[in-house]
Amino acid sequence: MNIATYARRNLFRRKGRTILTMVAIALAVLIFSIIRTVIYEWNRGAEEAAQDRLAIRHKVSITMELPYKYIDEVRATPGVTKATWANWFGAKDPKERIPFFAGFAADQNSFFDVMDEMSVDPKVLEEWRNTPNGAILGDLIAKTFEVKPGDDVTIASDIYPGDWKFKVVGIYKPLRKTVDRNSFIFRWDYLNNSDAVPPPMKDKIGWILARIDDAAHSAQIAKSIDAKFEDHDDQTSAMSERAFQLSFMGGFTAILTAFDYASVGILLILMLVLANAIAMSVRERTHEYGVLRAIGFPPAHIVGFIVGESVLIAVIGGLIGVAMTAGLINGVMGPFLEENMSGWFPYFSTPPYVMGLAMVAAIGVGIFAGALPAYRASKLKVTDALRRLD
Amino acid sequence: MAGNGETIVKLAGINKTFYRGKEPIPVLDSLDLDVPSGSFEALMGPSGSGKSTLLNIIAGLDRPSRGSVSVAGSQLDKMSDGELAKWRSQTIGFVFQSFNLIPVLTAAQNVELPLLLTGLSGAERKKRVATALRIVGLEDRMDHYPRQMSGGQEQRVAIARAIVNDPKIIVADEPTGDLDRKSADDVLTLMTKLNKELGKTIFMVTHDPHAAEVATVQRKLDKGALL
Amino acid sequence: MVPVSYNVRSLLVRKVTTIVTALGIALVVFVFAASRMLTEGVNAAMATSGRPDTVIVLRKGSDNELSSGLPMDAVAKLRAHPQVSQAAGAGAIGELVQVVMAPHEGGSGEVSNVTIRGIPEDGIAFRPEVKITSGRAPKPGTNEVVVGKAIAGRFKGFEIGGTVELRHNRPLSVVGIFDAGGSSYDSEVWCDREFMGQTLGRTGNVSSVRVRLNSASDFEAYRREIEGTANKDFAAKVQREADYYRDQSAQIGTFLKFIGMFFAIMFSLAAMIGAAITMNAAVAHRSREIGTLRALGFGRFSILFSFVFEALLLAVAGGVIGSIAVLGLSFVTFPMMNFQTFSEIVIRFHAAPSVFIWSLVFALVMGLIGGLVPAIRASRVSPVEAMRA
Repeated sequence: MNIATYARRNLFRRKGRTILTMVAIALAVLIFSIIRTVIYEWNRGAEEAAQDRLAIRHKVSITMELPYKYIDEVRATPGVTKATWANWFGAKDPKERIPFFAGFAADQNSFFDVMDEMSVDPKVLEEWRNTPNGAILGDLIAKTFEVKPGDDVTIASDIYPGDWKFKVVGIYKPLRKTVDRNSFIFRWDYLNNSDAVPPPMKDKIGWILARIDDAAHSAQIAKSIDAKFEDHDDQTSAMSERAFQLSFMGGFTAILTAFDYASVGILLILMLVLANAIAMSVRERTHEYGVLRAIGFPPAHIVGFIVGESVLIAVIGGLIGVAMTAGLINGVMGPFLEENMSGWFPYFSTPPYVMGLAMVAAIGVGIFAGALPAYRASKLKVTDALRRLD
Repeated sequence: MAGNGETIVKLAGINKTFYRGKEPIPVLDSLDLDVPSGSFEALMGPSGSGKSTLLNIIAGLDRPSRGSVSVAGSQLDKMSDGELAKWRSQTIGFVFQSFNLIPVLTAAQNVELPLLLTGLSGAERKKRVATALRIVGLEDRMDHYPRQMSGGQEQRVAIARAIVNDPKIIVADEPTGDLDRKSADDVLTLMTKLNKELGKTIFMVTHDPHAAEVATVQRKLDKGALL
Repeated sequence: MVPVSYNVRSLLVRKVTTIVTALGIALVVFVFAASRMLTEGVNAAMATSGRPDTVIVLRKGSDNELSSGLPMDAVAKLRAHPQVSQAAGAGAIGELVQVVMAPHEGGSGEVSNVTIRGIPEDGIAFRPEVKITSGRAPKPGTNEVVVGKAIAGRFKGFEIGGTVELRHNRPLSVVGIFDAGGSSYDSEVWCDREFMGQTLGRTGNVSSVRVRLNSASDFEAYRREIEGTANKDFAAKVQREADYYRDQSAQIGTFLKFIGMFFAIMFSLAAMIGAAITMNAAVAHRSREIGTLRALGFGRFSILFSFVFEALLLAVAGGVIGSIAVLGLSFVTFPMMNFQTFSEIVIRFHAAPSVFIWSLVFALVMGLIGGLVPAIRASRVSPVEAMRA
């Protein structure tokens, strides 16, 4: 036997309390992991953005449009291998089956060439070029609208009035998990030529996506593009695709900060619960600690017993929590979110570093929770401890 | 081990005053005590006379307000708390009224506790535990838990724990207080054996006249002074 | 019944345990109340953002001002109806609404979308609740703007004397800060409509038209006239202002409520376990007392009730502490992106009385659930325990 045996045996002294405490710890670890996973995966889409692509938009507002001729100048910029453009359509489902989906009017000759993570059969592209009101859909939106290639589909727009009827010519295949499967892409010239766009508003594009030859030159090429349009009325803001996607996240900083605080908060609650449980056990064993000190165990040993027991409970509870995390998040919650909320969370699984962080947090909580009761027990005079008959 | 007859406990001018709030409560007053090595002392006296306080001072559990304490060659009043703890583990064996065994450990593991403070190997510790339990006659109860034993057996295990480190002095506070007559006699017989055959110095505080009879020296403490 | 003082004294005797357990509950109540304050904040912002006698007209098919467009002459046509109040500062106003990317103040480099509203000359007068709190109103026809109090100072240039670029070489000059009483206008920049139209190349149309009716009950008649086939000039959608704003915040409101509830419930599980541990230990520790009470004649139910009551006391203590602490959040603002408009909206933590009532209820529920099993165990203690050594 050694000191560890004593610590271990003490766990079973009050089985109910020990088990309840471990459940609380496991729960806290689970919650902590969920919160940190959400924070981690929130920006995941941006992390997987293409390194070798730039997004160019109007400097003042994403809602303001650029002149059509800008595309030629961007294509002519050194470092740019190919470029395409698209306009935001503000698409809505007239039957309200889905609250929101991304509708674009894009260039039929270059869009899928630049956005090659949306893979389209060359025959489909050919047909698209021959069908003025043709549209290429993601598999999920096609399922929602209950259409397949060859069918007609009607959508509405927030921005452009009336009903818009398109012919589905094909479905794109997403080559990466972060690709949105609910996109609806039709021809830009169809929009531009329609009456919905009055003559003064014609020949305008929403934003440009450009492929560059070397990802390392991304910042320089972006600067040179912006420099070209510096003196025009409509200035541009070019940035890496990752920065572009993150720019939509600026409005969420407060929420993510709140999540951060929440993950600390749950640890605080846990610390209070564990500290309370340990303090109660220590109080009940004050007499016994007195005996041990009479026999000659120095106060440091007593501190070690108490903190050691606290950490042991925390570690076991923590391990249970990590197991629950792996099972619940990676096993059940993750795949569910990835399938049904793939727009928000194309990936949802707890990375190992979060589980490691949770274990470290559990150990830390164990140490701090045990520290104060241990300190107080060690400060007690031996004779006082012996007198207590709790 | 101190030679027979040499003074093993020397207390001089011991004063001990407790405080209840601001009010001083004097318990021991200018007390002197010499205990020869190998002696079996019984200290008696009415409640509140300070018997346990005196015992605590001898055992290095408490300090006097004034006076000099020399036990087994060490000057206790000059030692720090840490030094006292170490000294206790090497020099004193404790026997308490309420046995004070740890309920979640077996008899053997309880006896082994003081040995964890030494640097002995696991095998060496096991040997000493077996020896101690044999001396008290409970070797067959090695792996039993305190709740599986009678009061008398628990106290004998406690005595085994007290002697496993081969202490110079055994300090006993009302060792028979919680026992029935038969068990009490068993314990007293055991303590006599430790004193006569193993030469242990024993300092015992007691109410029990039977216990006092077994001792070689009987002292009385009244109102803080030895009679 | 076991006297209340028994429970109060018992809690006070074990001070440390009582305080620690109450703090755990307090923390959970804090989280719960904070999320409720946020939801109330959304409701408050939206509630103050709409008068019952004011109507907002958008192009048919548009869901918000940003994507809507109406011809400029629609304003006069919308005004020329019997239901419309022709008083000064009423009538109809047409406005242009745009979002611009504004960099956050400080070095973070982050940007958010901020709403800029091009107002006509009587734009401020139309909204009597809006007050210029510092600086002055912008001069019509110029590049002068005023900034809502919720966003003043949070973005680069959004202070008196600062400039905001609407377009290349077309700076807007900030001359004042306004207070719109907590409505969503507080998160906007107000500019001269003509100047904005020229700068953006959007002369000749407006995003939306607001109309003041004679009374709220005129709404249905007015709507029929405008949306009906009688109106061939433009296809419009007419909504009460309050309904419009309620729709705008529907998604955010639901999102925040959901997240808040999720956290509160998850956290409460941990706190309830803490309360259960405490009450369990109390029962074990006081088994002799309980046995004595039973021997004296107190029945099982009295004991059960007494311990449930003690748990509730503990919970209420925690609830009160948490509620007081959360009041401090009243001074904190919470900027968020409105999913539907992509623009920034600043929400305040709003300390509505309902928040505290619900917090108390929540705390009581936690105490009840956490303390029930220990209380049942207490009631099972037999009088024999009184005799145990």
